[in-house]
Amino acid sequence: MAKRHIPAAHGSHPNVTPLIDVVMVLIVFFMLVAKIGVNTGADEKIIIPKTVMGIDIKDLGNTLVLNVRQGQIDQPYITALVKGTPTELKVFDPTTKRNQLVETLKYFRNGDKVAGIAANPDFKVIIRGDESMEYRFLEPVLLACAEAQVKEWAFNTGKVEVEVP
Amino acid sequence: MKLKGAKAVHYESGPNMTPLVDVVMVILIFLMLTGSFGGQEHYLISNVPTSKGGVGSSSAEIKDEVALEIRVDSPTPDRFVATAGRIQADSMEKLTTQLKAMKAQFNKEGTTDDKIQVKISPGRNVKYRFLVLCYEAALRAELPRVGFATGR
Repeated sequence: MAKRHIPAAHGSHPNVTPLIDVVMVLIVFFMLVAKIGVNTGADEKIIIPKTVMGIDIKDLGNTLVLNVRQGQIDQPYITALVKGTPTELKVFDPTTKRNQLVETLKYFRNGDKVAGIAANPDFKVIIRGDESMEYRFLEPVLLACAEAQVKEWAFNTGKVEVEVP
Repeated sequence: MKLKGAKAVHYESGPNMTPLVDVVMVILIFLMLTGSFGGQEHYLISNVPTSKGGVGSSSAEIKDEVALEIRVDSPTPDRFVATAGRIQADSMEKLTTQLKAMKAQFNKEGTTDDKIQVKISPGRNVKYRFLVLCYEAALRAELPRVGFATGR
């Protein structure tokens, strides 16, 4: 029986097929898992408190992230992504005498008939607060949520790594 | 000069995969660098309405509801004291243990967990991180309904 020899070219070129297979699997994994270009308006500079407990919110579509910091006197400094633009939401605007935070929350919760935006009863608020902020700055935010009849709100916290004994 | 084995090396083994590997590697590195996986954060969710008037003024209509108020104060900026009825705690672990005992007592008296409404009532100068600890203590004690009372 004649012996079959591997051609010489096979010895000089590595077989890249398994490499391509693995890389393709990795690409598909990253495309499915990674959140690319998803801007929730969360301010990454804010140092949030860490907790062991907590759940992941998979769908952030019905949510508004409020970045809450200590402001001047009793006014919190709140920013959020409103209509695609990072916006400061004042609890009391001295020039217009309006509560921009409540108005914005009501806009998302109740919709806008003139603009043809329907009410969203499942609208949620995510509070991303600075851990060193005092409660007097958070209180107006909770009251605004209550006034706008927001059904659910959540504190955004960091995960504590639990050491397994 | 003629190379001796040049013809033997040039073996047609299929399409040239090198450009494909280059492009795929670039895509892979791009995805690895730009993608955020959100694995470092999570959320403490509440669906209990915030009430202006403290415990008992909730708009939630649940029959035979039992209110459990946790007053949180901060004697110094770096510590807190949580008081709920007769219990007092200055750490999350202690508060969790004591809330578990209170919950067991409520359960013994026939009150189910869904009828216990925990209301955290903080002082104005209490740091947010302490409130989150109290909130977490209530969740660790398996009290599902936790909200905030304002107006202290």
